[in-house]
Amino acid sequence: MKIHEKLLTHYLSCPSPVDKEGYLFKKRERNTSYQRRWFVLKGNLLFYQERPADRHLLGVIILEGCTVQPSLPESQHCFSLVFTGLGLRTYRLAAEDCLSQESWVHALHSASHTCLSLLVKELGRLYEEAKRASGESTQSPALTGKGLNQSMATYNPGSLYYLQGKGPAMRDAWAYARSQTLPAPQVTVKTTSKRSPKLWPKRNALVTPLNGPAPTYGEWPLVGSDTLEDFSKLHEHYGKEVRQLRADWLRKKREEAGHIEEDLIDLG
Amino acid sequence: MRFNEKELVSLSRQPSERAAELGMRGPKKGDVVKKRLVKLIVNFLFYFRTDEEEPVGALLLEQCRVEREDDLAFSVAFLDEAERKYLFECDSQEQCLDWIDSIIKASYEFMRKNLIFYRTEIHRLTGKDPLEQYGISDETRFQVNSGLPPLPATST
Repeated sequence: MKIHEKLLTHYLSCPSPVDKEGYLFKKRERNTSYQRRWFVLKGNLLFYQERPADRHLLGVIILEGCTVQPSLPESQHCFSLVFTGLGLRTYRLAAEDCLSQESWVHALHSASHTCLSLLVKELGRLYEEAKRASGESTQSPALTGKGLNQSMATYNPGSLYYLQGKGPAMRDAWAYARSQTLPAPQVTVKTTSKRSPKLWPKRNALVTPLNGPAPTYGEWPLVGSDTLEDFSKLHEHYGKEVRQLRADWLRKKREEAGHIEEDLIDLG
Repeated sequence: MRFNEKELVSLSRQPSERAAELGMRGPKKGDVVKKRLVKLIVNFLFYFRTDEEEPVGALLLEQCRVEREDDLAFSVAFLDEAERKYLFECDSQEQCLDWIDSIIKASYEFMRKNLIFYRTEIHRLTGKDPLEQYGISDETRFQVNSGLPPLPATST
């Protein structure tokens, strides 16, 4: 299959920002040795070359259909790009230190187009909700082909496209699309009609945000006057929900362990 | 340049955003229109000879210009070079417009811009950064203006 190399190298060298770059060790396919390579992540493409200044690219890994997993420590700071499917490859990589490993794993498992697409859909949905809540017009200017071509070159807040997401299902799918190395995903945004009293953003469930407005009284069902007693109640309460979520997530992952291989479109 | 061909071929067999048999003409002088099964998956446009399992080729849909050529045809140009312009012939005007729309929206960079827009707007409307719950709010690739500091944290 022809890959049209120049399109890839052109994308790499074009003005849009690189997402991450640095040295990693890459294990050779049929050899036990690791080679130090300069990696550049842009979009869903992971390029590698010998040194940063090199004009010659050694290769590219297209990051679709893979998960990022920690490896057994043959040497330290290892991780793998595991492509799911019969006969597909696993790329074994290693970082120079713990921080670098974490940083690369983090960047790589949300780098795929699939991931970004889910994220954009979810944010589009949240945007519509936020607009409705704030009473602004819900009319989003539709993008036409010509307008899009022009706006592609520059960030233009006026022209905008979104896809209608499916709420919690999208959020679960996003959590699944990221790798198994992630801890249980944080509590999700539920649809308006089924909102739990603990509203988004959940990350600060146990701490009143100092920079933002404090959640209204109704959002903190267990808050009372005795801080110590209420803290342990809150802790127990949220702990239960996190445990439940984790159990659900693990169950879902087991159910979704299969990977769709065949075409859903039969073109005859 | 090496690339993960097997994995890319596997990707080409996945459900696509859009797939159809179109007339396709390559960019070189003397290239003629050939019937190809064209599949749009993530930001790649795969094209197959009818009934073949492996694509003839894969075009990365980044930094490209999509244009309506006439009623039933559109073109995709790469590298700002006329010599890299591919022509696609559709069966209907509607199909033509649908393809143009889908290809433009398939680009990773396009999606990134949308994400940044939504993030900024949601932050403006609610005072909260929607990316924080995903733990990716600090990543430079999602910043509003690359090079400038990220959105202020909405909590300590």
